[in-house]
Amino acid sequence: MKTAIAIWNNYVSSAFDFSAHILLVEFENDKEISRSQILLESRLPSQRVNQLKNLEVDFLICGAISRSLLEMITAAGIQVLAYITGKIDDVIEGYITGQLEQSQFSMPGCWPGARKGLGRCGQGRGRCRRQGNQKNSEL
Amino acid sequence: MENNEQNVILDSISEGVFTVDMDWRITSFNRAAEEISGIKRREAIGRHCRDVLRADVCETGCTLRQTMDTSKPIMNRAVHIIDAQGKKRAIAISTALLKNSSGKVIGGVETFRDMSTVEQLRKEIAGRYSCEDIISQSHKMQNIFAIMPNIAESNTTVLIEGESGTGKELFARAIHNMSFRKDKPFIAVNCGALPDSLLESELFGYKAGAFTDAKKDKPGRFALAQGGTIFLDEIGDVSASVQVKLLRVLQERIYEPVGGVSSVKADVRVITATNKKLDQLVQHEKFRDDLYYRINVMKLELPPLRDKKEDIPLLVEHFISRFNRLQNKNICCVTNEVTAALLAHDYPGNVRELENIIEHCFVLCEGEIIEVKHLPSTVRPILKTESPGNTEPSTIRQMEVVLITQALRRNKGNKTAAARELGIDKSTLFRKMKTFDIKHPSYAQ
Repeated sequence: MKTAIAIWNNYVSSAFDFSAHILLVEFENDKEISRSQILLESRLPSQRVNQLKNLEVDFLICGAISRSLLEMITAAGIQVLAYITGKIDDVIEGYITGQLEQSQFSMPGCWPGARKGLGRCGQGRGRCRRQGNQKNSEL
Repeated sequence: MENNEQNVILDSISEGVFTVDMDWRITSFNRAAEEISGIKRREAIGRHCRDVLRADVCETGCTLRQTMDTSKPIMNRAVHIIDAQGKKRAIAISTALLKNSSGKVIGGVETFRDMSTVEQLRKEIAGRYSCEDIISQSHKMQNIFAIMPNIAESNTTVLIEGESGTGKELFARAIHNMSFRKDKPFIAVNCGALPDSLLESELFGYKAGAFTDAKKDKPGRFALAQGGTIFLDEIGDVSASVQVKLLRVLQERIYEPVGGVSSVKADVRVITATNKKLDQLVQHEKFRDDLYYRINVMKLELPPLRDKKEDIPLLVEHFISRFNRLQNKNICCVTNEVTAALLAHDYPGNVRELENIIEHCFVLCEGEIIEVKHLPSTVRPILKTESPGNTEPSTIRQMEVVLITQALRRNKGNKTAAARELGIDKSTLFRKMKTFDIKHPSYAQ
């Protein structure tokens, strides 16, 4: 299970449309097994989506994101947990423990539907990855 | 001047203003800042400014940081932010140091102006549309959006099929603007608007002396599109002789201007469009099959508006915003009855027809809300407001019934497919069908 987190200076990058790097984290059985920082090659939405697809990203955790880019990414089969803020290690811990819905990780001002991914991932340890596995097997 | 007086002044101006402390936490946020960013003051205060402004320069070249480091103010720098509605918005920002009465720096102040109207008008003039500019939440369009990145990145010839007014040129421009050719020309040609005799010279150019009045060489549209994209609209109307020449361009990437003896290399991506069924024209031998297979490498089929009525409210909002900009008006919305009438219409002219309807309303509407009386007569009679036994939708609930009913009908009663098309969860569809008493078998036609 691969999760990409938009990153800037050890924090979640504030707007994915403008982010320059992602941290690609692999998880197995509720544990992080590897992480690597990857340069996002282009700000063009089409190329950004393609790069995520080529990296076989299952989930994207990011800050603010425009509706059109979010829709392109979800149409590509990648689940998006958007409007997340905080230090990377805290966010990863929150992700593993299913606590990203908490206010400490929430950015102010997001549109309805932007945090749909969180609604499914909000409760329970490891629920995100169980749901992600289920979604991938449906695809 | 007291704080309250300062706040009243700051809240009365149209520029957004906010201040930060030395930890980059927002300490004040005026009313215009709320309106432009879409973030409430109470949500912004105390938050890191990066989490509130979400600008493209926050991480690469924060203007406030530059001012704090150099003590020099910055004026009118153009940046983009992501607002609370998920729109990328152009603003112009200015920054300055904030000092206390002793002259000690205690933070920074940033002011910003909304430039989105100017940017949108500039986009319309230049035709530099992208996927972000195509308004749709329909499932069919989302499937098309999903493959647009791949199409844009390749050099493949594209065929866009769709009824008149479905946005074929918009998609062609979006593909061009998402591709590596985006900084090169985009040249559109309406092949149906030109007679055959002119079309060939228009596309391929001519040499001096090729015919009477050809006093000097003229480059054709393929030459003008060199390095970029050529959009051939109404490709189904092209004559047999031009079809042969187009086939050669697509196969061998060369062409000859009319009256020319040397071949010219064509480094042009070709996007074609038609409102006809080209495969049927091939069967009737009105279109060459070898050319059809050359242009049909990647086909996009744009659904008519009547098949994606869930887009109508979004499109109405978009057109209202557009005409407000162009006509300097302040119309906010339409009444529920107008929405119901618009949803009930079938749109043979598709999105272009809807745009014309809204433009018509703008001429007649002198207030802030578009009402039924402002609609054109072709749409208005559908809504019988006072006749007994009126079955036309006039409330939000009734509109939902219409949309759900139509989606079920289109998907032959398949609730999973209908839910996906409407962009809602299957459980939500089930709940609404139960609430509104929509019976499944009746609509499984």
